[in-house]
Amino acid sequence: MTEVKKTYKHYVDGKFVRSESGKVYAIDLKKEKYEIPLTSKKDLRDAVTSSKAGFAKWNSLTMYNKSQILYRLSEMIEGNKESYIALLQQHGLTKNDSKNDVEDAVNTIIWYAGIVDKWEQLTGNLNPVAGEYFNISHQEPIGVTFSLSSDDISLNSLVKSFLPAMSVGCSVISFTNQNAVLALKLSEDINNSDFPSGSLNILTGNFENIVEDVGAHVEIRLAAIYSNISNDLLETLDVKGSDSVKRIVNLPSDEGLGSIIPFVETKTVWHPKGQ
Amino acid sequence: MNNWEYAESIESEKIVKIEKKYGHFINGEFVSPNSKKYLDTISPSSEEVLSSISIGNEKDVDFAVNAAKEGLKQWSKTSPSERSKYLFKLARLIQERSREFAVLESLDGGKPIKESRDFDLPQVAQNFFYYAGWADKIDLAWGSGISKPYGVVGQIIPWNFPLLMLSWKVAPALATGNTVVLKPAETTPLTALLFAELCDEVGLPKGVFNLITGDGTTGSELVNHKDIKKIAFTGSTSVGKYIQKSLAGRDVGLTLELGGKAANIVYNDAALDEAVEGVVNGIFFNQGHVCCAGSRLLVQEDIHDVFINKLEKRMQTLRVGNPLDKNTDIGAINSKDQLDKITDLVNEGVSDGGELFQIECELPKNGFWFKPSLFTGVQANYKIATEEIFGPVLTTLTFRTPDEAVEIANNTEYGLSAGIWTEKGSKILWTADRLDAGVIWANTFNKFDPASPFGGYKESGFGREGGRHGLLSYLKASS
Repeated sequence: MTEVKKTYKHYVDGKFVRSESGKVYAIDLKKEKYEIPLTSKKDLRDAVTSSKAGFAKWNSLTMYNKSQILYRLSEMIEGNKESYIALLQQHGLTKNDSKNDVEDAVNTIIWYAGIVDKWEQLTGNLNPVAGEYFNISHQEPIGVTFSLSSDDISLNSLVKSFLPAMSVGCSVISFTNQNAVLALKLSEDINNSDFPSGSLNILTGNFENIVEDVGAHVEIRLAAIYSNISNDLLETLDVKGSDSVKRIVNLPSDEGLGSIIPFVETKTVWHPKGQ
Repeated sequence: MNNWEYAESIESEKIVKIEKKYGHFINGEFVSPNSKKYLDTISPSSEEVLSSISIGNEKDVDFAVNAAKEGLKQWSKTSPSERSKYLFKLARLIQERSREFAVLESLDGGKPIKESRDFDLPQVAQNFFYYAGWADKIDLAWGSGISKPYGVVGQIIPWNFPLLMLSWKVAPALATGNTVVLKPAETTPLTALLFAELCDEVGLPKGVFNLITGDGTTGSELVNHKDIKKIAFTGSTSVGKYIQKSLAGRDVGLTLELGGKAANIVYNDAALDEAVEGVVNGIFFNQGHVCCAGSRLLVQEDIHDVFINKLEKRMQTLRVGNPLDKNTDIGAINSKDQLDKITDLVNEGVSDGGELFQIECELPKNGFWFKPSLFTGVQANYKIATEEIFGPVLTTLTFRTPDEAVEIANNTEYGLSAGIWTEKGSKILWTADRLDAGVIWANTFNKFDPASPFGGYKESGFGREGGRHGLLSYLKASS
């Protein structure tokens, strides 16, 4: 019997969609060659529109709820563990490395699921001002985030490129090139984990094609670059981003408290004390 | 109106000694500029020339950065508790000489002596005191993963709070183990130059604090120097964007504290007399030369008339004049350039159709002055409702519901500060949660403290100054 081969599509606004351009690029695995949608400028703009609405939805959920949705993602991956291991092996990893990577990814997701309702207790505080005022600094998510994930063939690297931002309440457009098959497979489990539509969009393609638009789009508040990109690309992103004072984080820390700090804004509220 | 006659009470200028000419302060001593070029710094209240300051060129900046690199070797070997003691000593010395600093600040910048004496200087000293105590506790602040200094830091500060902005920049940078090249604003360099003398007096190791004076070209040389590891800038959003662009593709840290167009929201259930005081303080403090000034009054429609009436009455009691007179509420506009900008924007507001109220008062003949002004009948798209005026000019808009207030407040590219006036606690928290602003004052305005983080959302910049969060601006995450 002929094996049925899956067509991978972008994951935008809770739907599986092709690039509006109709363009694709090839990822050649051991057994199969996949034609992956190549993100166009219009695809990016559509994703930002969705991500803006997704941010409002994701951010309005309680921390407890967000935490459970992230935990749910780890449950989904655990259930499909063997298929991830097989896919990683298709990319050339050994069985053992593939297994370790999937287990690491599950552990990473559980770490972030667990910090969703705690990080603000670590980053915020009352400020002991010299006067009769209640003064508190707390944090809010920056908003729509673009994340370029690392090209390492790794599920763990992939989830590390969107979990820090998601765990504080940002919506994320996760973009990958070489990890495309893995990312688009992951989007199926994301789709089954109760994320509000648009809170996490997954696009694939060539960053060079959209770098100017990522920099210039004012609705993208932050761009996090987890991949080693050329200096020219980084310069283009920075130059375009400077027009809207965009937050651009090159190679952010991918673990611990330091990994989430770039994605929050500190808000300080004062109120006098009195009778 | 009921303007009471006040007898003049002028603070003596004799306490300050101003040199005719200043060099840069590099490697622990004052040096003549390589550029051999100078510019005059004047008193904006009399237009009298106070002194000449050096204009730093590429070589001057290079000299200062190299001194800071050398200083870093010494400073990184200095134990955290020793670093702490230097900063405590600076705080004490500032307290002891605060009258001198206050007079100099008012002379050079035009701000009323009661503000430089009672606000700027106490805050400056407290800021050094506060960060002194952090120097030997850096690991505790954000964990050992975020505890390494950048190295040589370039800092560029504005003219509205010259010495206070110096303290916001220098104290946390030194406490975290960085060394500094600071460039003060061209119109207000004198208190920074006096601060340099104090660094020498406390025996701060050479090259740890370097000061380079000049204009925008000097600042640009500093930003573009290859050995700078981090730039901290406070100033206009347009210059901030230029700096961000200049650093594109370079591995240089950046924090920006830029402009604002803060909404000061007055709900109909506010304590109106207190709100009037807060609104007046919010916009007329420091002649409105305040990035976080409450420059957009958002008043609930049903109390508009009664509130504006009270506000105009209160504004009329403001005393505009000699900054060194202890009775003065509103001093001089910092420069002719700034006065022209304010005048142009106000004229445009009138021609757009805004209704202008200005207080009745006599302005001194010399110097740069602007009457406290209030616009009503303004449409949201007028320039005076969207652009930062950076002067004593308040623009009024109205709203009907809390949702509408939040929408108007957030309808700006800025996000530095905001004010909320209501007696209802839940409404304060509801509103505060929805405002895109880094600092929110509820039933108060323009309050500052070294322990309290300050900085903006959106195009008001990124990074915080003050408090535990202010340390993050000078620490790198080590992964």
